[in-house]
Amino acid sequence: MKLALISDSPAALQACLHLARQLHGAGVEVTQIVAPALEASLQAAAPAERSRALVMEPLAFATSELMDHLEAAGVFLDPPRLAAFRQGHQRAASLRGQRGRPLFSGPLQPLVGDALSADLLPRLGYDLICLHGQTQVEALAWLVRGSAHAAQAHAAIGLWSLPSAPVGLAVSERPQLLVLEQRAVPGSAREKALLYRRFQALALASPGWTVRLQPDYPLPGDPQLWEETTLAWHHRQDRQRPANLQLGQLEDLPLSLMQAWACLGISSPWLLSAMVRGKPTVVLGDYGIRTEFDGPLFFGSGLMRRLADCQPLERLLTAPAANAGWLADLGWAIADGPQRLRRQLEALAR
Amino acid sequence: MTLKLLLVADSDSQLLAAQALAQGAGAGRAAITVNAVPREGTPAAVLEALERQGELWRQSLRQLLNEPRLDGFDAIGVYLTGSKLAEFRSVYLASRRQLGRPTRPLFCGFNGVVLERFEEAIAWRLGYDLICLNGPRDQARLELMLRHTPFAGQRSVLTGLNRQRGVEPQGGRLNRLVFAEQVVMPAEAAERRRLVRSLAALARRSPDWEVLIKPRVAPHESTFHTVETHIDQTLVEALGSPPANLRISYEPLAALLASSRVMATVSSTAFFDALDLGCKPVVLADFGLRHDLGTPFFAGSGVLRQLESAADLESLAAGPDPDPDWLEWVGYHPRFTAENLLEALEQLATEAGPAEPVLQHPGYVINAAELATNQLRRAAEAALGRRDLEEAVRLLEIAQLQRPDHRNIARRLAAMRIANPIARRLALLVTPRFRA
Repeated sequence: MKLALISDSPAALQACLHLARQLHGAGVEVTQIVAPALEASLQAAAPAERSRALVMEPLAFATSELMDHLEAAGVFLDPPRLAAFRQGHQRAASLRGQRGRPLFSGPLQPLVGDALSADLLPRLGYDLICLHGQTQVEALAWLVRGSAHAAQAHAAIGLWSLPSAPVGLAVSERPQLLVLEQRAVPGSAREKALLYRRFQALALASPGWTVRLQPDYPLPGDPQLWEETTLAWHHRQDRQRPANLQLGQLEDLPLSLMQAWACLGISSPWLLSAMVRGKPTVVLGDYGIRTEFDGPLFFGSGLMRRLADCQPLERLLTAPAANAGWLADLGWAIADGPQRLRRQLEALAR
Repeated sequence: MTLKLLLVADSDSQLLAAQALAQGAGAGRAAITVNAVPREGTPAAVLEALERQGELWRQSLRQLLNEPRLDGFDAIGVYLTGSKLAEFRSVYLASRRQLGRPTRPLFCGFNGVVLERFEEAIAWRLGYDLICLNGPRDQARLELMLRHTPFAGQRSVLTGLNRQRGVEPQGGRLNRLVFAEQVVMPAEAAERRRLVRSLAALARRSPDWEVLIKPRVAPHESTFHTVETHIDQTLVEALGSPPANLRISYEPLAALLASSRVMATVSSTAFFDALDLGCKPVVLADFGLRHDLGTPFFAGSGVLRQLESAADLESLAAGPDPDPDWLEWVGYHPRFTAENLLEALEQLATEAGPAEPVLQHPGYVINAAELATNQLRRAAEAALGRRDLEEAVRLLEIAQLQRPDHRNIARRLAAMRIANPIARRLALLVTPRFRA
């Protein structure tokens, strides 16, 4: 089976590369179609993966004859462009007197609640929506019930975008807490300043530990361009920062995650990676369950606690694992996701 | 058995929800008193309607908690915004404990359809003896959210979306479309102007009809959301001079719906008022299904219509009725009524007095949990530690509400409120901080 996965953002590219690795194991040949703006991000991929990628404008690909040589295509574009891709492809196929190829799409993350509804809406009408787990399946059913999209085909294929395979590295020698920072959670400079001060205090109170501030988004290479809404900016400005309060870069994230003794964040999807790998994980509960902070995502995790309850940090090492039922419903229970996707796509291609 | 119920509400939407509940609870089964917490800008018409309907109190929350008649009710329904909901529950329970009086079951609900932030809203409501939900759709969402968690036993009851006393179908309805405006849907000024222009174009294409825009609030009134540009201003900006058969009306919505043929909305709960009052509802599809507009809620309704491409109003009026399966799913069905609440409350009364809910579970955080007095004090000190004075004051104010006679809380709060930073620092040094 030949598939294309089409991406136009760094997060989508990473998810597509990850999905391709899994599909490869299911006997699917995947070509990555990568928007020209992502060429630099593609350079970070393994050479074999780069060799299976084409840098091409996605909407041009939608109408190109290259599509005729595929069994299906997965479209992971910025949501406003999803409709244009589908319509463009169908129109071009129709002009060639052919049937369009099956197109599939889906949320990049195991979102829930409002964030999931907003993410799903522009994907309705695709031949297949790939979801993560039972939680998303139920939410999609409510969204389309009775509507023109009531028969929307979908497949739950597990936590498909989430790096979860062990990379064979031991934890660091010195205890390390990895703080997974998100670009917009919280979004204001003032709130980030408060958050920074709290981590600074945590580092001061935990001299035996390294507290590593790890953005889960790319920072500009030039520190002059860092914004006040990043922890990195506050770290750089801090003249009295403790030596054990360090800053990581996005490319370090997978490695840092493996080396960390414990991970902490508000709602970064990387927290899930930590959970499924059995890392002691804390979901910061100080902000309560706030929709704009994706609070509903981790409500059921059983790993929420306030920062004040995390000290001494050694306490985190004996914390229980994530709520197994919740994690299973989110998608962790699905072990044969790539095979499920392949079967559904084969049925659609017939 | 006649249940004596107190409903506590503040903003106009919450008061309307209380009114609907009071109306829906059959006479004879419940005697209902509404306490409208005084609030600037509350529409007088809403208060007058409540007064006509039954006993109306107008006490602040603080006065209410000291009200001797409070213990005379069989249950208390609370229709306040999220944080105030949690605060009321917490302060009520603390005050009864302090006064050595029994607690009554507390229930809460939603004011109309829940278009967004459902999980966040539930996180504020956990711990109430009963949460009133509209219908199976919301019940399924609640179940999914609480599944596998220690809160899975949270009780809920389906009270539906019927808000008006139904009227018999009448023949003599006017050729009139009532547009139920919402102050933030859409929120963008350009989209609000587009909306007004499409209503005007429809009015021009339908000379035998009248189009009335019913603003959510009058210019001097307030609702939960802040209005930046009132719709009457948008009308002037978008149209200059509107067609003769398009105008703004401040008549009560129920009266307009009872006499009009069609009602249109983006995503207002007035959709269900229209059904109650025999007026055909349509939902604007011109902006597409967008989460920020609340339109996905209505995706299965079967009455999404493009106003911009509709031939005229007669063609809208001739369209299909809402899908009955969808109506039941969202809660508009005779089996979902306030009667269900009364039954659930009667059932609660047969059980041993309401046990104080356990809201603290390791690994779980809910929005309401921080409201235990000592937690509030600790959180206030933590906020102070990170130089977030505003938050510290907010938290301690709630703590003081719970323990008004607590001298240390009062002294600490007074110190935090000192405007001069040096004087404040000194005062904070000498006042006792919470250590536990």
